[in-house]
Amino acid sequence: MVLDVSFMKETFGTLWTGVPVTLSLTFLSLVLAAPAAFYAAVLRLHGARWGAGAVRWYVSFVRGTPIILQILLLYSLLPSVLNALVQAAGLPINIFEAVDPFWYAVVVFTLNTIALLSEVFRSALLAIPSGQREAGLSIGLTEVQTYVHIIIPQALTVALPAICNITVNLVKGTSLAFLMTVKDVMAVGKVAAAYGYNYVEAYLDVFVLYLILCTVIQIGYSLLEHRFGRFRQQAA
Amino acid sequence: MMETRAFDPAVIWQSLPALLSYLDVTLLVALASIVLGSLLGLVLAWAKLSGIRLLRYAAQAYTYGMRCTPSIVLLFLVFYGLPELARAAFHADINGWHRAIYAIITFLLLFGAYISEVFRAAYAAVPRGQYEAAVSIGLTPWQAFRTVLLPQAALIALPNFGNSSINLLKEGALAYTIGLIDLIGKGNLIIAQNYGAYGIEIYLACLLIYWGLVNLVEKGFALLEAQLGKGRTAAVAVTKPVRKRRWLAWCSTFHS
Repeated sequence: MVLDVSFMKETFGTLWTGVPVTLSLTFLSLVLAAPAAFYAAVLRLHGARWGAGAVRWYVSFVRGTPIILQILLLYSLLPSVLNALVQAAGLPINIFEAVDPFWYAVVVFTLNTIALLSEVFRSALLAIPSGQREAGLSIGLTEVQTYVHIIIPQALTVALPAICNITVNLVKGTSLAFLMTVKDVMAVGKVAAAYGYNYVEAYLDVFVLYLILCTVIQIGYSLLEHRFGRFRQQAA
Repeated sequence: MMETRAFDPAVIWQSLPALLSYLDVTLLVALASIVLGSLLGLVLAWAKLSGIRLLRYAAQAYTYGMRCTPSIVLLFLVFYGLPELARAAFHADINGWHRAIYAIITFLLLFGAYISEVFRAAYAAVPRGQYEAAVSIGLTPWQAFRTVLLPQAALIALPNFGNSSINLLKEGALAYTIGLIDLIGKGNLIIAQNYGAYGIEIYLACLLIYWGLVNLVEKGFALLEAQLGKGRTAAVAVTKPVRKRRWLAWCSTFHS
């Protein structure tokens, strides 16, 4: 087997055009999921029974099914639902042309990430002793202030390694967005592979690029962990 | 032009028998990958614990690489790359191989990497004294490993092994992308037979099957853990009862 090295070099360059799509898909999903996941975690811990139950079922469903099926379902469901809504409102918009599939991907990965993050937030919140909350309230902070200034900074430090894991898995997971015709790294690689039947070379390139992306993300998180964990070292 | 058609929940139930008849393919791929991947994981864990630095680094690099690889990329690499590799290395034509074999090779490579970390951590979690105690009562190192260390390590590894197995079962859903007719492959065939209709219903049916399956496997591992963990709870319980010790003390007063 002889690898076409010049093709690999060229393709590796073009693959980078997919990186902004992969990263923005990852970033948007995380940022959009975080508040909802936090709310779900609090609901699960302190909410009414039906709320906690609903969160548990949601998490069980998302974690108990392959993401590829979630993608296939939502990609057939979302455009039709949107189309029905738009037609009901009487708007002259063709949903199938007007909406970039990127946004369907954002919805899919956000819904998925909410479930995973809510579990991380839940265990992180459980790791903070209740004395921290009581201390915050006793010095006159409101419940919200206590959360913002006392509990969340500590919980975030606890949760950071797990969030790093979720981010890396999300970057890998977004490689399935090509099924929704999103032009991410995987999709660019797939096009390059099919063009000259250089499958092995193209996917080796894709493999290397994901290796780089994941490594950079993990280094970034370990720096962040160091920064967030400073208060621990000061206390010691 | 796409036509808006009413959602028909009855199709979900009607399609279940046809879909379930392909569940064995999905399960076979998952099971074969787990069994073979565990063997690879054992070898990798052994390499990671070995004294030879090169072996250790190689195993760690392999695990790291696999953890950064999207499963679909590996699946495509194996599916397109392996036949070329076989042709170049052995002049063998393996294009006729069943697609399940490519899927199994892919997922065993992934599972081996994930599970090697589980095995390594579990082995490291067994206290060193256990080995020393076993050897000091006259067991050979191999006997000590097999009868003392391995059962304990296996019990420690079990929850993570269950988690990894469930993850693999879900990853296995990708196999349809290389044309394997498994649960989802069959679902896509049904959708195609209906000219693209009933996609939502069929995918929902697949989701429900996977959800049920994953819950079943979870329950199975929880039961297994409870069953195998009996020895451990007994060991803890022995130190607890105070009455026995009192009784012993009472006995010893007799002797003196």
